Amino acid sequence: MIDVSAHLGHFAFLRLRNNTASKLLALMDRKRIDKAVVASAAAITYRNAQAGNEDLAAEVRPHRDRLISFAVLNPVYAGWEDDLKICHEEFGIKGMRLYPRWHNYRLTDPRCLELIHAAAQRGLVVSIPIRVEDRRHGSWLADIPDVGYEEIAALMRAAPKAKFILANGSGFVGSPLGRKNNGLPPNYVIDISLLRSELDNEIGQLLANLGEDRVVLGTGMPFHYPDPAFVKLELLDVAEAVKEKIRHGNAARLLGI
Amino acid sequence: MKRQGTVPRRAFLGSLALAGGIGSARPLIGSSAKVIDAHDHLQHRSRHDWQEADRKLIDAADKLGIDQLCCSILPPQRPATPESFRECNQWMAEGMRRFPGRVHGYCFVNPGYGKEALEEIRRRVEQGGFIGVKLYNDYRASEPVVFPIVELAIQLRVPVLHHANHSIWLPAPQPRISDGGHLAELARRYPEAMLICAHISGGGDWEWTIKALRNAPSVFLDTSGSAVDDGVIEMAAAVLGPERLLFGCDLSLTASVGRMRGAELSEQDKTKILGANMQRILSRRSIQ
Repeated sequence: MIDVSAHLGHFAFLRLRNNTASKLLALMDRKRIDKAVVASAAAITYRNAQAGNEDLAAEVRPHRDRLISFAVLNPVYAGWEDDLKICHEEFGIKGMRLYPRWHNYRLTDPRCLELIHAAAQRGLVVSIPIRVEDRRHGSWLADIPDVGYEEIAALMRAAPKAKFILANGSGFVGSPLGRKNNGLPPNYVIDISLLRSELDNEIGQLLANLGEDRVVLGTGMPFHYPDPAFVKLELLDVAEAVKEKIRHGNAARLLGI
Repeated sequence: MKRQGTVPRRAFLGSLALAGGIGSARPLIGSSAKVIDAHDHLQHRSRHDWQEADRKLIDAADKLGIDQLCCSILPPQRPATPESFRECNQWMAEGMRRFPGRVHGYCFVNPGYGKEALEEIRRRVEQGGFIGVKLYNDYRASEPVVFPIVELAIQLRVPVLHHANHSIWLPAPQPRISDGGHLAELARRYPEAMLICAHISGGGDWEWTIKALRNAPSVFLDTSGSAVDDGVIEMAAAVLGPERLLFGCDLSLTASVGRMRGAELSEQDKTKILGANMQRILSRRSIQ
């Protein structure tokens, strides 16, 4: 299994268990997860996100066979071009995560588009977490809204050659991103960490609307228990071959591993 | 609805011990262990597909190994009126008949209509087999208007499941929502009441709520909600004790089952949370 939505390091507002490489790997062993995409949780609130990327690189270096690094980059902070180069050429990242609400920019800001085009030229995947924490849990210091789906849809149109992971969101079916024949380029996949396979069965609807290549396993660990994602997959009423794509194949193809 | 048929009942909860990483391949719960969802809902009939939605809920419970669901129906309009809560409770009674042995009913009322609310609770519990009272956000749990409701619940020996949320960024439509602190205050006034603080995984800052309930030993906490934050069950069990936790889903079944599957607790503690604690509450009713 490949988990596209994991983290390492500290987060400003919540103590995380299993947030070191050794603890996360032990959890992955228990849950039979082969590989996980990780990015720095601390970089979400650092002014200079690159400091978090440096810590992540050191933590992941002995475990690059199983932990796949993504950098947290901020296109409105000085020096992102240098940070991208270092993260790719020295740290060996496979992609990057963007936090436009935490870092205070729009995805369609020209500076963000410039970063995404630069990442695409390097063959990097761009992950956009819709949220970090449930908004109901938010600290009194920060009320951070979810990233809007219209804004993301506009980005999909503006960067058709880039490859995106939309992580830690729900309610896609009611937006352009989850509708059948939505006119958007098929340049994004959606992770299941907050989707449901019971009742309204959003996972099943996304498979029907977007296709079986467009849904991937994400757990959100160590923010989340990984197990709910597995229960959703087990309950999902589709062929085992489709589940295997969600568990592994779709992410492997996207990440080129 | 198409029945899946390929996933054996209890496969999900039955593999809790292995998946939870607690070192045993033996299923956490045997075939005789009952799993009770202490907080769920059937649908209001203003929803055009309410029958199908209720059926899907039971089907999902079947597949996940949930034996019984303690449900209420709430009206979409606030504040609830006597007409609207009586209508919901009538539909709840019909739901209990549609799913006999699977669905228990909480009687939902607005405490602001004191006489009508008390009459409705007494009638539904004594004559209709309802198992408890559900209160939402019409009043805070600590307001005096709630006291007669709690006194009647004590007399009938049924629990009061109270909606709760502690969020800094509170949604505007719920100005009188309660939190764990209000439930603790009510419990200090009525320590003999069986109060259930709702959905720790859908009620905002769960660390705050758990700490607010630490010194209110008569308040139970249900585990339901859509959030899947790591560590919530372990912290609740450590601070409150596993005897005070009740498994619940609140329409988020896979999240709620997965949360329990991932929690690093003993098999014995999970068994208590999954059903034994709620069974003990149900067995206290004066009318069985």
